[in-house]
Amino acid sequence: MLAYQLRIAWKSLMRNPGHSLIVAGGIALGVAVSTLFATVRHSFAKDPIPEKSDSLYYVRMDSWGPHEGYPGDTISPQVTYQDMNGLMRSDIPVRQSGMFKAQLYVFPDAKIGRPQREIVRLCFADFFGMFDVPFKYGSAWDEKADKGPEPVVVLSEEMNERLFGGENSVGRSVRIENRHFRVVGVLDRWRPGIKFYDLTQAQVQAPEPVYIPFEFVRAMELRTAGNSDGWKSPDQRGFAGFLASETTWIQFWVELPTAQHLERYRAFVDAYTLEQRKGGRFQRPLDNRVTSIPDLMKELNIVPKEANATMVVSLLFLLICSLNLIGLLLGKLLARGSEIGVRRAMGARRLDVFMQHILECELVALAGGAVGLLLALGGIEAVNLWTKTMFQRDDFFRIDWTMAGFAAVAALVAGLVAGAYPAFRVCRIAPAVHLKSQ
Amino acid sequence: MEWGPILRTIRRNKARFGLIAVEVALTLAVVVNCLALIAEARVKMARPSGFDDDNLLQVESTPFDEAFREEGYRRNGLRVDLETLRAIPGVRSVMNTGFLPWQGGGSSGTFKVVGKDGPSLRSQLYNADEGLIDTLGVRLIQGRSFNRPDVERDTERLRQLFASDRPRGPDGAPRNKFLQEVVVSKAWAQLAFGDGPYVGKLLEDSDTDQYQIIGVFEPFYNPYAWDIGDYAMFYGNLGSSYEAGSDFLVRAEPGQAAGLMRTIEGALVKQNQLRTVKVQLISDVRDNFFGPQRMIVVLMGLVAVLLVIVTGLGIVGVTSFLVTERTRQIGTRRALGATMVDIVRYFLLENWLVTSIGIAGGIGLAVGLNLALLSWTEGAKLEVGTVIAGAVLLWLLGLGSALVPSLRAARTSPAVATRSV
Repeated sequence: MLAYQLRIAWKSLMRNPGHSLIVAGGIALGVAVSTLFATVRHSFAKDPIPEKSDSLYYVRMDSWGPHEGYPGDTISPQVTYQDMNGLMRSDIPVRQSGMFKAQLYVFPDAKIGRPQREIVRLCFADFFGMFDVPFKYGSAWDEKADKGPEPVVVLSEEMNERLFGGENSVGRSVRIENRHFRVVGVLDRWRPGIKFYDLTQAQVQAPEPVYIPFEFVRAMELRTAGNSDGWKSPDQRGFAGFLASETTWIQFWVELPTAQHLERYRAFVDAYTLEQRKGGRFQRPLDNRVTSIPDLMKELNIVPKEANATMVVSLLFLLICSLNLIGLLLGKLLARGSEIGVRRAMGARRLDVFMQHILECELVALAGGAVGLLLALGGIEAVNLWTKTMFQRDDFFRIDWTMAGFAAVAALVAGLVAGAYPAFRVCRIAPAVHLKSQ
Repeated sequence: MEWGPILRTIRRNKARFGLIAVEVALTLAVVVNCLALIAEARVKMARPSGFDDDNLLQVESTPFDEAFREEGYRRNGLRVDLETLRAIPGVRSVMNTGFLPWQGGGSSGTFKVVGKDGPSLRSQLYNADEGLIDTLGVRLIQGRSFNRPDVERDTERLRQLFASDRPRGPDGAPRNKFLQEVVVSKAWAQLAFGDGPYVGKLLEDSDTDQYQIIGVFEPFYNPYAWDIGDYAMFYGNLGSSYEAGSDFLVRAEPGQAAGLMRTIEGALVKQNQLRTVKVQLISDVRDNFFGPQRMIVVLMGLVAVLLVIVTGLGIVGVTSFLVTERTRQIGTRRALGATMVDIVRYFLLENWLVTSIGIAGGIGLAVGLNLALLSWTEGAKLEVGTVIAGAVLLWLLGLGSALVPSLRAARTSPAVATRSV
């Protein structure tokens, strides 16, 4: 039966291919625009690490001064060095890492080029395991390297390409500032959506090209290249003073696999804070936050408000496109009145005629949707090229399977909106009128 | 006028005319909100910094040699760099500063008026030298800016201050107070002290170190978090460190900025090769900062244009259908003496009426959609002018789109009426 209906639909569509093309084109346009804007929003909003979204937690504490809180009715987005060390004494998290980024000179082989400042992430070995970072060659460093710290480095695929032409460079040496680091791992292509593990700046940038153990912060006296916020100038001068200060500049993450872990960990952070309070710190009301990635994204308004507004507008655009097709499809009704009269006289039920017409519309809509999806792919590439200078990344916006599904559903709904009323009108045609005038 | 027949036709064909009205209403609602988003983005982009943006360049020098770890070496190099930059033909003015206009941030601190209680106020805070006023291209409205001896003196005082620990009193504040001269933006002086004059007024930070205003300039705008874009304090200091290197703002003679990029890089690298020198145009920094806004303007503009085209074609489609359906009636009217003008007028009037109904509904819808967007996404607020412009646009669109099928209707021959009856 379906095959028969499909054949009739095909014949009917081919009778006036120009007309069918216009209808498909209208839907293609609507689907292209709405998929484009939905993808822009989705690229910000989607969970960057869904397999771990209920076990990764970002830790913050209100360590601000007694007189005034952190500006903007919130707490500092980062923690101090002393608090990171205090928190890391806990054995509740199965993995944990403080981290920050620094801008350091990386010296390639003199034949390749002059030294260049690169963004380097300083973190603990757990960083790679807790964020499921994929390795192409080698692996993360171990906890022994964290403690040393041993001069080991993990490179991104792109950095390995630049420094070593893409070959397996594990065991080779890279000069960073005035030290030599041994390559222990090269990342495979790693492109989470937003850079979720550091939402303090440049959230859409790609992950850093170079990773070294956190403790080099002391040995190399490194300062963060990201934000640092403080409420009190350091008591001592120099680098030791900076490390011991109330300045917050470290992002701190823990992996807590179960709700019990989470509960115990929250209790631990509160206990730590109360202990510190005895020494004169943490004079503000207790406000420690152990936050999951989805909650953190909501709190920090990761999805730009413009992305929401433009997506709503683009969905209305799709609706208007399909409303406009109603007129066209109604026009077709006139031309086909007699044919339908005959079908009805031969015993086709109203429902048959209705379904037949809807089927036709959905066929055209799917074809239009497919074209629209292709157009959206092209559009997204254009947007990516355009935003490259802004974000130093040309693959942030991506049409994934969710968005392909969105395009298909959008096309089907648009087809239904466009086709339902004309189909309803068509099936109510009285056979007699049309048979008479033949 | 054929109001009677038109109204009766509309009443009998509610669905088709309703369709046009709904299309017009929705299109108006969406187009007007697109325009509002565009207008908001343009307002943001139109806000001037107050500086000579088009002729400004930023120069970043970052060392990669251990020699730069020694302060004397760095300071000496910084002085040579300043002389080198000032000597380049086409360079009007140079200052050593960590301030980078249109970066979308910078550095800031919190301050209180000395002797006044209340919450502390936040301002942007940067180092500068005697090139401050002329390099930014701003007006000094009170007092004076730094001169060379000021900058040399304050640089040395700060160096000594940071060279050793500061003993603190029982209140946690350092025992020896430090006084720093500052040149501030007018908006900041106003925020802190109300009406002027401001020269000589004192602010203090959380360490109770004091800042004395020696000059006030305007305008100043550099977007920053916490809405402190208008507030700025500059202190005299030649700034350089091993990690951050040293940064400069260079003001070129009009039209010469782009041409100077290579020259500047070459001249500095020639002085000292053990560093990288990055030169960028402030106009590029600004374009980058406004990238999302420019994207909204272009993409929403595209959506609005496509929408108008689609709706125009849609109205042509429905009106054509209405014309075809009534070919016989038109023929009859023509046979009974109606002129071609009568027929065109009839269809245009009909369309105008329906479009107007659509526009009336559309205005309500536009406002509703706007309120929804405002509450859900903090979208752009709708201006009355935008709504009126949108309404006029759709009136013209409706008439224009109906004109084509109406002309076709007018050409209907009276003979058609007699055929196939």
